[in-house]
Amino acid sequence: MSEVIDPEILLLAREEAEERVENIEKNLLAVESGSNDPEMINELFRDAHSIDSAGAMLGWDAVASIAHSMEDRFNRCRDGEEKLMDAVPEMLISLDEMKGAVSAEVVEAAAEPRTPPTPVPPPPENGRTVAATSNGAPRPRPAQIGSVSAKPIRVSPSKVDRVLDAVGETAVNHHRLAHVLRERLSPEDSAESELELEMGNRMLSELHDSVIGMRTLPLSSITAAFPRAVRDMAVATDKEVELRMVGTDTQLDRSVLEGLPEEIHHVLRNAVAHGIESPAQREAAGKHRRGVITLRAEPRGGLIAIEIEDDGGGVPAKVLAQAEGSASLTELLCAPGFSTAGDVSNLAGRGVGLDAVKKHVDGLGGSIEVQSGPENGTKVILLLPLTLAVLRVLLCERAGQAYGVPLTSVREVVIATDTVSLGGRRALDLNGDPVDFEDLAEELGAPAPELPVGGPALIVDTADRTTALACDTVLGDEEVVLKSLGPLLSSATAYLGAAILGDGRVALILDPNQLVRGPHTPNHTNGHGATALTPIEAGPEASPPASSGEPKVLLVDDQKSVREFQGGILEDAGYSVQLACDGREALERMEESEFDIVLTDIEMPVMDGFELLGAIRGGSAPASIPVVMVTGLGTDEQKQRGAEAGADAYLVKREFDQHALLDVVSALVGA
Amino acid sequence: MNAVHLRVVAGDEHYALPVSNVLGISAIGEVTPVPGAPQHVIGVRNLRGRVIPLIDLAALLGLGDGSTLTWIVVGESRGRRCGFAVSRTLDVSELGETDDDIESPYLTGAELIDGAMVGVVDVEAIFDALTPAVAA
Repeated sequence: MSEVIDPEILLLAREEAEERVENIEKNLLAVESGSNDPEMINELFRDAHSIDSAGAMLGWDAVASIAHSMEDRFNRCRDGEEKLMDAVPEMLISLDEMKGAVSAEVVEAAAEPRTPPTPVPPPPENGRTVAATSNGAPRPRPAQIGSVSAKPIRVSPSKVDRVLDAVGETAVNHHRLAHVLRERLSPEDSAESELELEMGNRMLSELHDSVIGMRTLPLSSITAAFPRAVRDMAVATDKEVELRMVGTDTQLDRSVLEGLPEEIHHVLRNAVAHGIESPAQREAAGKHRRGVITLRAEPRGGLIAIEIEDDGGGVPAKVLAQAEGSASLTELLCAPGFSTAGDVSNLAGRGVGLDAVKKHVDGLGGSIEVQSGPENGTKVILLLPLTLAVLRVLLCERAGQAYGVPLTSVREVVIATDTVSLGGRRALDLNGDPVDFEDLAEELGAPAPELPVGGPALIVDTADRTTALACDTVLGDEEVVLKSLGPLLSSATAYLGAAILGDGRVALILDPNQLVRGPHTPNHTNGHGATALTPIEAGPEASPPASSGEPKVLLVDDQKSVREFQGGILEDAGYSVQLACDGREALERMEESEFDIVLTDIEMPVMDGFELLGAIRGGSAPASIPVVMVTGLGTDEQKQRGAEAGADAYLVKREFDQHALLDVVSALVGA
Repeated sequence: MNAVHLRVVAGDEHYALPVSNVLGISAIGEVTPVPGAPQHVIGVRNLRGRVIPLIDLAALLGLGDGSTLTWIVVGESRGRRCGFAVSRTLDVSELGETDDDIESPYLTGAELIDGAMVGVVDVEAIFDALTPAVAA
């Protein structure tokens, strides 16, 4: 009988049946978990009844027969002849049979879905006419009454991609058109065309954004099967477990969603098998018999975080102890073959299985983290990649090239006017705090002309440092689809990927964690799964470089207290210190012995700091010895004068900081 | 081998790429340099919504990096894509008898066509060589 029915209608009927099946399943699980909602039994009955009638009408005998028996059973429960709770396990089994029967019915009829079925209101209780003519006459469609429902339409992903590609090409074409026009038109004529081009740009941007929005799907599109899966796994291990899901409306790019169900299933399996204890153990521990696993999804910065948390007993203490010693807990649990289970249960297989999940997530450019404790249960956090998801970035330009920095890493944008040289590096004064100042082009190794004076700088915060990244112009913030640069460019670790801007240009999206040089705190997992960088010694505790013997510092200041104070700090840090009370004495000292660095005050009698500097640079050996000016005043003129006279760094006593002093000395002596 | 190939000119020399590895040809367009990219990768390009890396074919084959790059041949091997930047594209034709005794790691053979030696490019080998080993 299926052959004479319009395939589109068949497809629609199947979709509806599947939705009702899902609803029945959801309700059955709720009942099993103890829900007392009186309406539920009515809903169960109605859904079963609808499937029964639709099936009968379409000639789906198997489906109708199963639905009918379920309907009867629900009816008996409704009448009080049987307890619904008791019927659940068998109903679930019947439901599985029905799912199979529904799929089987439509397999032949549907080859490749044609145009998506237009939304129709749900069929009225007494069924509707099935269009069944086979003579080619126009077939009457089910009447569409009233307003268009909010039901989404289904479109094949490739169609959306084609539209996105077409939008992209149109943008490129527009860009080229603009270019050609600008070359050909005189200034008087161009004003009008500029207006139109601008409008075109804006409309294309909007179009671009809308299409990007179409590519994403809510997490719920893959989570429907989880509650049932958890329930079945719990039953198989004689445990009671409930799965709660929060934030399943979180949107993800569909390419990220592919492959996710399996990974999440993995983690859920572990949670049931190893996380949640048996009901008896739980009661003994004062917990509710039924364990709870919570799946929570939310956007977090530019990433999507999916957390799977159980309220079980956590990872065994001896594993935690192992974790403290060597690798982090995450690394330990994600090592291939690792298992916390004494016996190998059929359910969880050999290891905990997280190594496969880690591989998948890392491969996407994301990361995984495991937190666990005896009191808090275990939480697995999947941070999903920017690679395929939509990311908000701040766009800027340097040397004609567009770059994007994830907005979550950008604290603010400032105009860089106040920069000073400190220990060989430039620093920007940010409300009194010195911040490393870097030319974006230099950081990347890109050829570029000088930075503009008074140009913008992005204040970028990474896990362990803050940097002022200088560029030519800031273009603004934008939401982009991050595209991977591909395996051929995987060695270019400064980038998260690239994005195609509204005008067709390619912007390189930077990875702030990889970009800015400097010490990384050891044991800090890099959020993007890159191989860990060798930890460099953190700044503040810098010890003198391991050259032959201790480095020798010549400290010049006319105040004894200062000499004692600074001298003490330097000696404690391992330097060998000699003192002089003015420039002339300093030069005498330098004749007698060799020093690695000179720290000098400016205001001194007999010969002040600048004169001393001049003398050193002018000839006394070695002329290139590092010289740091330390002074009570921090005026710009002085700094300028110091820089011009050849000072390597400048420290102000008022802002004096033990760490700053040691940093500077260490940096210059090591150079 | 008699498979159909695309003949191109790169760095004044002639090469042929199997069309089974070629997705299409495009004008060089706007190349976005990627500072820090490995050698031979001259940048990336937006190709119909995808960002693909561009490789100077002549430079890769040891002919130096001074050639004019006018076209890109979009190459593909097992899901990996890139654009090979070349000076000219000639035609698409079947190759005749090729001399497979060739030393280059990136060529599978050579044939004399119309007086010019045409190197047959092993696209898969190029991708294999340029794709760093995936960390286990």
